[in-house]
Amino acid sequence: MRRIWWIPLCLLVVIPPVVVFAGGDRGFDGVVRSIETRYHAHATRIPFLGIASLVARNATHNGVSGMHIAEFDNFSAEVDGDELNRLIEEKLGAGWERMIRETSKKGHEQTLIFTRPDGDRMDLFVVDLDGRELDVVQVAVDPSHLNESIAHYGHHGGDVSD
Amino acid sequence: MKHKIFAVFLGTMALALPALSQTASSSSLPLPPPVEKELAAKAANVTEVTLGKNMLGFAAKFMDGKDSDQAATRQLIEGLDGIYVREYEFDKEGEYSTDEIDKLRQYFETSEWSPIVRERERKNGETTDVMVKLVNGESHGMFILEAEPKELTIVLILGPIRMDQLGALGGLGGLGALGDVEKSTKDKMKSDEKAKKGGTQ
Repeated sequence: MRRIWWIPLCLLVVIPPVVVFAGGDRGFDGVVRSIETRYHAHATRIPFLGIASLVARNATHNGVSGMHIAEFDNFSAEVDGDELNRLIEEKLGAGWERMIRETSKKGHEQTLIFTRPDGDRMDLFVVDLDGRELDVVQVAVDPSHLNESIAHYGHHGGDVSD
Repeated sequence: MKHKIFAVFLGTMALALPALSQTASSSSLPLPPPVEKELAAKAANVTEVTLGKNMLGFAAKFMDGKDSDQAATRQLIEGLDGIYVREYEFDKEGEYSTDEIDKLRQYFETSEWSPIVRERERKNGETTDVMVKLVNGESHGMFILEAEPKELTIVLILGPIRMDQLGALGGLGGLGALGDVEKSTKDKMKSDEKAKKGGTQ
């Protein structure tokens, strides 16, 4: 009993390395940091995106929320499509499924769209490399609320597709 | 005491190991993976669309239930288990082999799958195969393989689906090509029927 202090000590010793090796830095920030590290690039975060996300959420009546955007300008690194895909899958973690992947051997064109159901919402994670610009976007979409908004604007402004 | 420490260590590892293996699913086509990888490695451009049941359910929510066309599409989508589309574009002719195409065909040459279209055009080297998975006489899956000298399209739809419903799925993101597949396959089925009729007259 008097040596019970061994238990928390063991936990302290074992858990941190495991968490680090498991990629504790996951999700949007994890992906962006991994891209920065792997391709020696620097991401530009959109200023006041939190406010923009709030506005989008209100404007769409909760149809769109949780926006995260990072832009890599002058992205000149050579990208292996398989490697980029693996990197993102590892950092996104469980629950995400890849829906669309477009990859070209020549040139710098890569598009990856991952989805993750979250109750009535669907999280979308998009990585798009076009030429020398790489964008990483995460957004949560609620189809029923978004449909209402689209119908609302369609009603007031004619056909949305016009 | 040593046993306790060992037990704590084991317990910690048991809790932590799942974290190590947590990665997003690779969403690979339920086909022999080596073929898919081999084709992707050779192609200049690859497009992969994978819509699992979750995503199809989500897409169905965007359909307007009041509109009869959209309601029908919604019902169709909700019943499907998965849609997989693979498009491979090659720089030059002959970059994929007929063996690779045969491997794909052979995968579906089982008692469950029945060929409904088998088109071979010698002039331009194009081939089309459409196979349907029949369960108790009803279609529960469709496999379409269109091969052109520099382009290869694979479509696999799991769940109840008919040929004339393919176009309805074209409205889903990334599946616009299905409308073209439906049209070209229908044309080929018609020409096959005409040829058969002509042969019997």
